[in-house]
Amino acid sequence: MTDFDALLLARLQFAFTIAFHIIFPSFSIGLASFLAVLEGLWLATRREVFRNLYLFWVKIFALSFGMGVVSGVVMSYQFGSNWSVFAQVSAPVLGPLLAFEVLTAFFLEASFLGIMLFGWKKVGPRLHFTATLLVAIGTLISAFWILSANSWMQFPTGFAILPDGGLIATDWWAVVFNPTFPVRLMHMSLAAFLTTALAVGGASAFVLLRDPEQPESRMALRMAIGMFAIVAPLQLAVGHESGVLVRDHQPLKLAAIEAYWKTGPDQAQSLVGIPDRKAAKTHGEVAIPGIGNLIQGVPRETVIRGLDSWPKEDWPVVGLVYWSFRIMVGLGLAMIGLGIWGTWRCCRGGPERATWLLRACVLMGPMGFVAVICGWIVTEVGRQPWVITGLLRTADAVSPVGAGQVSATLLGFIAVYAVVFSAGALYILRLMARGAGPDEPAPEIDDRAPGSPMAAAPDEPESGERAPRNPEGDRS
Amino acid sequence: MPDIIEGPPKADEPQAPLTHRLAWFFGLAISGTLATALVAYGLRALLRL
Repeated sequence: MTDFDALLLARLQFAFTIAFHIIFPSFSIGLASFLAVLEGLWLATRREVFRNLYLFWVKIFALSFGMGVVSGVVMSYQFGSNWSVFAQVSAPVLGPLLAFEVLTAFFLEASFLGIMLFGWKKVGPRLHFTATLLVAIGTLISAFWILSANSWMQFPTGFAILPDGGLIATDWWAVVFNPTFPVRLMHMSLAAFLTTALAVGGASAFVLLRDPEQPESRMALRMAIGMFAIVAPLQLAVGHESGVLVRDHQPLKLAAIEAYWKTGPDQAQSLVGIPDRKAAKTHGEVAIPGIGNLIQGVPRETVIRGLDSWPKEDWPVVGLVYWSFRIMVGLGLAMIGLGIWGTWRCCRGGPERATWLLRACVLMGPMGFVAVICGWIVTEVGRQPWVITGLLRTADAVSPVGAGQVSATLLGFIAVYAVVFSAGALYILRLMARGAGPDEPAPEIDDRAPGSPMAAAPDEPESGERAPRNPEGDRS
Repeated sequence: MPDIIEGPPKADEPQAPLTHRLAWFFGLAISGTLATALVAYGLRALLRL
């Protein structure tokens, strides 16, 4: 019983810390690319609105990047503290992937972040843009290695089992580019872009509800609408491909996602209901008969394995997987709807004056994060009882530690995270609520001698004053 | 107090010579790498105590 408690607590601890962690990379991956686009547009057009937007969002990027690094380090340490058997068994395969993440992505980001934040005047606009691009590429390389490692855990390939039970890579190409990896990388990268677009759109809409003429927020809202109008439908297609891979490689996860209790052909498509693991049925289910197989992309007569194909003790927490999937898909559909609505308002003149659209954007602002967390719950809880599918059970991967030790560190994490990340998140929210604005004063007029006729000219702004801005946010 | 995050140079501001800018570019990049390595090896040393 003590072992079970330690296992459950270790799982709770990992779930808690990774749910916190994933919020920050989801944001910083998208935000880094957004910053690169903003700076590129500023370089090409020299429009002040892009510079101001860059200077505003780079502060939020720096904060979320920092919190992402701090919360990410905790994950690695947990491999050693709570999951030492997992670390021992899988290190020869997964260790190099995580090391490559540090060497190629993390160092790239950490090196050029300094130039991004402190070096614009020192290195000049073009070299600064290079640094921003390198940081953006670094965040995507980081996603590459982490998704590669996780995809291998979902569907391990290119390895051999040693006599002592450890694993060793026999084909690195198969390890890194295992069959589920490319689609999952694309799914996560698009999720990050979508999450960022929604957050940027939500923050801009919040400011525009107060001041519909604010040039930076007008521009950012239009850019965000354009982004999620394109990416949300694309994500639906990529998500479907990801589902096809689950069907082919992880049938137990599919059975949990769709609450297929019984093996058979012509499965019904469950829409909503309350899955009951003990009774092996879904209470109050609303389902469409005859289309389950169609949605899975197989003929009606094809037998799809239900949960009854596996021993009950091997089933994942069906209700959690089932509902996380539905929340994720529901939010995805809402994002598509918001994209269509926003595009329509852009074509009709101005989304910044459509109060209900702005309110919807504010409401949807954090929903990208919710969808990402739900998606990862589907991925990770749905893989149970395995930590490495078919090779290592979660129950066998835990460290020989007591429940007291794990609960003490779990409480410590909850307390520290509550203070540190709440403070960080509140600061980010305060910045977002304030919105982007003209931060830099206009160039000072210093070529007129005091008392000269030029200095007395009434149509010039006084030294140090901001020049007036046109509706597009640029100075005249 | 000046902003911690540096903005772009003004349009009419003369740029430093390319060699100076490249020196800053690589200097800041290497400083970032060294700072990261210092924290990483520091944490590792802490674990071995």
